[in-house]
Amino acid sequence: MWPNVAWRLFWRELKRGELWVIAFALCLAVFTVVSLSGITESVRSALAQRSANFIAADKILRSSLPFNEAIFEKAATLQVKSAKQMQFSTMVFAGDEMQLVSVKAVSASYPLRGKLTLRQHEAVDAPIVPTFSQGEVFLEPRLLQLLQIKAGDMIEVGVSQLKVAGVIAEEPDAPLSVFGNAPRLLMHVDDVAATEVVQPGSRIGYRYQFAGSDALLTQLETEVKSLLTLHDRWQKLDRESAVGSALDRAEKFLLLAGLLGIVLAACAAAVAASQYSQRHAMSVAVIKALGVTTATARKIYASHLSLVTLLSVSIGLALGQFASSSAQWAIVNWLGDYQAEFSSRPLWLGLLTAVICAGLFSARPIWRLAAVPALNVLRQRQQEWQFDIWHLATGAVAVWLLMWLFSGDLWLSAWLFLLCVAFAALLLGMAAVIVKVAKPMSAGQSSALRLALANLRRRLWPNSFQLITFSLALFLTLLLYFLRAELIGQWQQQVPVGAANQFLVNITEAEKPQISALLTKNQLTAGNYYPMISGRVLSVNNETLTEPDAENSDKAESENRDTANRDTAERKKGEQQADQTGTAANAETAERRRGIGRELNLTWLSQMPANNEVVKGQWFVDGGKAEVSVEVELAERLDLAIGDTIGFSVGGQQFSAKVSSFRKVDWNSLQPNFFMILSPDLMATFPATYLTAFYLPPAQQPLLNQLARQFPTVSVLSVDNILKQINDIIAQVSLALTVILALVFAAAVLVLVAQVQATLEQRQQELAILRTLGAKTVFLRRAVLAEFAALGLMAGVFATVLAEILLAVLQVRLFELPFSLHWNLWWIGPGLGMLLITGLGYLLLRKLLIVDAPTLLRRALQ
Amino acid sequence: MSFTPEIYIQAKALTKQVQLTDSTLTILQHIDLTINRGDSVAIVGASGSGKSTLLGILAGLDTATSGEVYLAGQPLHALDDDARAELRARQVGFVFQSFLLLPSLSALENVTLPAELAGIKNATQRGRELLALVGLTERADFYPSQMSGGEQQRVAIARAFITKPAILFADEPSANLDETTGAKIEDLLFELNAQQGTTLVLVTHNPALAKRCAKQATMQAGHLTMAVAEVTSVA
Repeated sequence: MWPNVAWRLFWRELKRGELWVIAFALCLAVFTVVSLSGITESVRSALAQRSANFIAADKILRSSLPFNEAIFEKAATLQVKSAKQMQFSTMVFAGDEMQLVSVKAVSASYPLRGKLTLRQHEAVDAPIVPTFSQGEVFLEPRLLQLLQIKAGDMIEVGVSQLKVAGVIAEEPDAPLSVFGNAPRLLMHVDDVAATEVVQPGSRIGYRYQFAGSDALLTQLETEVKSLLTLHDRWQKLDRESAVGSALDRAEKFLLLAGLLGIVLAACAAAVAASQYSQRHAMSVAVIKALGVTTATARKIYASHLSLVTLLSVSIGLALGQFASSSAQWAIVNWLGDYQAEFSSRPLWLGLLTAVICAGLFSARPIWRLAAVPALNVLRQRQQEWQFDIWHLATGAVAVWLLMWLFSGDLWLSAWLFLLCVAFAALLLGMAAVIVKVAKPMSAGQSSALRLALANLRRRLWPNSFQLITFSLALFLTLLLYFLRAELIGQWQQQVPVGAANQFLVNITEAEKPQISALLTKNQLTAGNYYPMISGRVLSVNNETLTEPDAENSDKAESENRDTANRDTAERKKGEQQADQTGTAANAETAERRRGIGRELNLTWLSQMPANNEVVKGQWFVDGGKAEVSVEVELAERLDLAIGDTIGFSVGGQQFSAKVSSFRKVDWNSLQPNFFMILSPDLMATFPATYLTAFYLPPAQQPLLNQLARQFPTVSVLSVDNILKQINDIIAQVSLALTVILALVFAAAVLVLVAQVQATLEQRQQELAILRTLGAKTVFLRRAVLAEFAALGLMAGVFATVLAEILLAVLQVRLFELPFSLHWNLWWIGPGLGMLLITGLGYLLLRKLLIVDAPTLLRRALQ
Repeated sequence: MSFTPEIYIQAKALTKQVQLTDSTLTILQHIDLTINRGDSVAIVGASGSGKSTLLGILAGLDTATSGEVYLAGQPLHALDDDARAELRARQVGFVFQSFLLLPSLSALENVTLPAELAGIKNATQRGRELLALVGLTERADFYPSQMSGGEQQRVAIARAFITKPAILFADEPSANLDETTGAKIEDLLFELNAQQGTTLVLVTHNPALAKRCAKQATMQAGHLTMAVAEVTSVA
């Protein structure tokens, strides 16, 4: 009965290669979805874990009010790990020495994420202290010098005497400040009360740190909502640092590449299914003439589709899972402490992809195939290519569904989908016009070219459709190739080779030449010396700034987090969260001004720093006169206008400056950045310290010890680890992008192969006729080459134009990169189109071109 | 309509029209035809005269615009597509001008295909026997692309007889073959037809082939003229 026949036909067709293109297309679609969603999830999860290391937890609740134990109890109930952390500034005493320190008091479970390394003394190879207990403190190494003590000595913190048990070698949520904040002291949170440092009105930052799965953390957030006050706010992960933005862009690229890969694989599946139906039309007519009903014919061919889907899905899932596991393995290797989590999402997404691809792309051609009338056996002609609006419609719905499923982003998928539809419509129109105008053009051409153009013209619809898929395949490949190059270029530019990896802060005027001399002696070059002084913004246009109570905690917290980069990121989040919670208008205004009443690091320069750009107003003319240049986002927050007056207080002296320009600052540049730059005339009389940066090769690391000994008050901040981390990530992500590009290219090639194969039958007949009429191999080869070269060139030109347009849109809108034209694209696009399509066309048709006329005729008649 | 067991096909007032953009094309006009069991009838006529259309309707591959057709007592004009297919599976064998073997199946598999689809047991054994009858025992495992046109048509003839059909429709069975091979195929067809006692309806434009049939019907511009007196024919 029919299952036997169906199975035998399936097996034979599989062996003959009839089903390979469709199988490969489905397999590729499933593989693309499984591997890309797996890799994207791994990257996302690695990013989250890495970011978690920066804050030593997965989630932090910040408060200016003392700990509410009920919140920790909730966390314990949910089996979410928690830790306490308090941050404040205080004076510590050791004998006659005293020093302002930045205290971090933590519970024993700290850190929940990342690594805390404590050593017995300041030597780099000193023994590690595994845990710390109550009654002990650990200090930043420079604090030992400042207090002139050594490990084992006692210091006074408030009214308590605590033992210096060692130094802090590595702190996961260390301050990355390039500005002179107070040195760190780490103590046990349970010792704080005894010190009596915390008094009503003290500026204390309380942090509830949590670690657990996303689901549990979300549940926790919901459950503790009723316990929170206006003074509590959730801190999200840092995604605006250099690392964060690099990975963020990579993630967007992966998503986009995945979407485009799916479109291509789906196109290949659709073309292959169409081609399969076309090739089998006569077989269906024959078996129907032999007495098979339409329903049985449908069952036979639907079973073929199901079997080929099953086969492709199994292979696609296995290969996709392998690729995704390899990526996860690479990430584990690269991050070390990264804990890979198995997610079933890529697998069911892959399964759904196969079902959608097979159901919506291939079912329609198979349905139509079974409807081929038995009468065709008497008509003696091949089934002509027919424009099937339903196939197109179901295919389009399938593409959109796949995009939506994969991205989980309704708008992005709808936007991309509409774009693809618009492009296809545009291409169809353009192709039709070009193929039509080719007729008068071909009049004076050689016969091979004339035949090629005649071929193109005769199969206008199939050729236009072919041209669309060729163009789409080339366009998507070009788009990803250039985007990838762009992203990698931007990242490398962000961290150029030899970028400054050491910052020296708190340099006095007298130390400047000495430090320069020391660096020069070691064949190193110091960058600019930026003068710095702490100041406070008092007023804007004589209106005094008010500080909300919550500000108290921010003071302490901001001192600890105050890298230029992170500071902005955090503040932006603060704003967003304030907006989200919808607090009253007054609170919002206060929130907007948050941080401005507190101390800021001010600098004064006559020349604008290299990575800054004036977006409004004018940079100081002739060094400026009582002027200030403000970072543009800060200016927006303060509702500043050019010409406004800002009142400052520095060292007890008050003065005002006129806002003369707004600057855009690249916070990811890892260069010293400032919110406010004053004109030098204002600050001439103030005693300043300086900040400089230089590149220290790994081999010269010991120089840091010499610097610390020779200039004890100068703080050295190394960003080597950050730079290394960024470089690592860039290298890994670049590799991932390349692999994905290769995947998309493979999908594009598959589309091209499917398309050329779709015309093989018809070409075979034409070649048989031409051969019979006496056409020589050379002539046929030239005609075929000319036809594919013309198609390739057209597809290449269309693809180039579209890629340039979409690149511009994506650069500016999605990746927030500056707009630029891609001159290379204009020769790579058409060239690649011509070479690739001609090459593939020739390879696929090569065998037909050398076959003799009788064989061709016999094949054509089968 | 009453049938005698001798009457195998009966067509009455058969008309086939095709709607063109701005006109109607009449391919068959009011055709009456009776074919008895065991008859061999050739339908001859020039290209475009409507002979293949008539064959299609008589075999249940196509439907007429008006009129009635009975095959083995079954009213084809009243049956839907699937019912006609089932009837074909039980009663009808085909030989086509361009052989129409399934390229992915071997010679033997092509021969046994209709039997397997009809659920007939011992299909393979019967297939081998038929292949032996058409002289292709050695080619059983060959694929169509590995065989000559004559061999392919012999496979097609073996396929046509595997279900032991009551009637065989042949559409220009030797038109795609050279004269010698064509003649051999024709011999084989008539030989098997005689052996199996099958009714044969053959469409051809070849007068010599037509003459080998007991009766000839000529199609001309949609009209049918029968050349044998005992068959009722109305032009």
